[in-house]
Amino acid sequence: MRAYHRDRITATALLAFAIVWCVVVWQTIPVGSPGSVGPRAFPLGLGILLAVLSGLLLVRAQVRKRIETAADEADDTPDDSTSMSGAHEGTYLRMVFSVFAVIVAYGFLMEKIGFVLATLVTIPAMMMLVLGIRDPLRIAGMAFGMTFGCWLVFGKLLGAYLPPGTWLSLF
Amino acid sequence: MDFLLNALATSFTPVSLVAVVAGTFIGLVFGSIPGLTFTVALALVLPVTFSLESTPAIALLLGTYIGGMTGGSVSAILLGIPGTPSAAATVLDGYQMTRRGKAALALGTAVIVSTVGGLISLLVMIVSVDFVARMALRFGPAEIFALVLFGLSTICGLSEKSLLRGMIAGVIGLMIMTMGLDEIDGVQRLTFGTITLQQGVNLLVAMIALFAVPHIIEAFVQYYRGEEQPVRAADVNVELPRWKDLRENFWLMIRCALMGTGIGAIPGTGGPIAAFLAYAHARRSSKDSIPLGKGSLAGVVAPETANNAVTGGTMIPLLALGIPGDPATAIVLSGLLIHGLVPGPMLFLEHPDTIYSVYIVIILSYIAVLAIQLFGIRLFVQLLRVPAHMLAVAITVMCGFGAFAVRNSVFDVYTMGILGVLAYALMRARIPLTPIILGLVLGPTLEREFRTAYILSEGDPMIYVSSVPAVIFLALAALVFAMPALKMLRKPKNREA
Repeated sequence: MRAYHRDRITATALLAFAIVWCVVVWQTIPVGSPGSVGPRAFPLGLGILLAVLSGLLLVRAQVRKRIETAADEADDTPDDSTSMSGAHEGTYLRMVFSVFAVIVAYGFLMEKIGFVLATLVTIPAMMMLVLGIRDPLRIAGMAFGMTFGCWLVFGKLLGAYLPPGTWLSLF
Repeated sequence: MDFLLNALATSFTPVSLVAVVAGTFIGLVFGSIPGLTFTVALALVLPVTFSLESTPAIALLLGTYIGGMTGGSVSAILLGIPGTPSAAATVLDGYQMTRRGKAALALGTAVIVSTVGGLISLLVMIVSVDFVARMALRFGPAEIFALVLFGLSTICGLSEKSLLRGMIAGVIGLMIMTMGLDEIDGVQRLTFGTITLQQGVNLLVAMIALFAVPHIIEAFVQYYRGEEQPVRAADVNVELPRWKDLRENFWLMIRCALMGTGIGAIPGTGGPIAAFLAYAHARRSSKDSIPLGKGSLAGVVAPETANNAVTGGTMIPLLALGIPGDPATAIVLSGLLIHGLVPGPMLFLEHPDTIYSVYIVIILSYIAVLAIQLFGIRLFVQLLRVPAHMLAVAITVMCGFGAFAVRNSVFDVYTMGILGVLAYALMRARIPLTPIILGLVLGPTLEREFRTAYILSEGDPMIYVSSVPAVIFLALAALVFAMPALKMLRKPKNREA
């Protein structure tokens, strides 16, 4: 993906977000009492500012596209960057989704089965499913080492609250 | 005197001393491993400070900050890869010394001059911070608004290559902080009727998400694509520099320490700029028999003194005005806020013992840096060999627990996941993340002071330009924002889209 193409997507997404933000702010936050800067002013002003800045980024992307297209026309060397970056984008998306899923699952498990069991389950799952590690010794060492280390440091030494679990509780 | 004795008593408790050593160690580890910045370390230790008293919490945070700033030199010298951006200038001569078989001397010199630089900057800080705070005591809401706006102008310095993208990031940070219950009118803003969002997006959760989650994703991507670099660092010891070497570089050390402190005191600048400016100064003034760039000792002394001197410099606007100069000090600021310590002039009146504790903790941190690096350098070499993806697995667990520990709420873990993914998407779109942090930290104060000034003036907008300090800060902010824009207009061919 070319830089200007990515900028165009970014700017469009931000512009859309800014417009939705402004509409929601306008509809849900009261303007406040007359003679004062009410609670709506800042969020609305910031939404408008983001829309303006996103618009500027969009204009820049268009200008850059025109410059790069002109340069491409002058240079007839084949460009194979698009296919490569497509494969890379796939890896990025996969990892983004995996990390997000791991974090959400870890949070859910912490609440349901407690910190100790959740950590013991999440680390092997992450190592096997996300990273494709198959070495059982490495997985067990990491899972037990991290769980024990965190339990000792956070729970015992620092006295932090470790969620006990609503479904099942070990400690 | 009572305040000093009280500060000494709280700083020398076993918990505080352990916090200093643990923080310094964590900072050194994160700083020394390329790709793992000490800002990530600070974001991860921040939730731990909840369970601590204020002084041990400050000790943990400042120890991590100071350890991290120093740790970057280890990989810079041994591998030629800076552990932190601040250590980039150290690579130039430090790695050359390693290639000439003088790695031990380079490491020893880096440790000594880092400590000297840090302690000189502390002295300058002690002398100046009180004066700055006294001046700031006269500020009303309009002046504080102007000052915070000036603080936000440091977005320009943190915008990496594009001011436009930096401003977008800063605005996003400010927008996030408007969510929740409005401080002045008590109105719910963008909470969508949920109770959990009434408190807004928690600053600490946002920091963990912004700093740690993109790092985890990036480490996994590199592993998956087979781009992770195995680290092969040879075993080394630390060799202290000879007295003669230190004496020859004494004035260079002093100059670079003052330079680093001065640069650190300007928000938005920080360690990398100080280190490179000091290196350039050493290149001009060095009388070393070995030229700079070829493994000269002065090429290690200058950047390492300057980048550690930045730590004292950044504390001046942080403590006296409540303005963080970089992401690391922004996290330190939030750590202080958690414990009810609001940096700014009032801190000097209400909690003078805390100010003394900060001074003592900085001294202790540098002593810990010196001791840990002198005796534990072999451990750091071993840590450099731990694969990045395994560290990322450990960091994921710490992030999950850290986000939960903020309010004992799973909702915060989910928020961290969502914000982390959004942060990564922004990073991929080349939107810098550090201005978002600045927006998050300074946003509430900016809005509160603006609205308070407006109410006090009964709707007269001239209140914002009614005093000399306010006009100066507003003019400085305008100047800082205008400079990069003017620079871009002058160089239309080279500008970055």
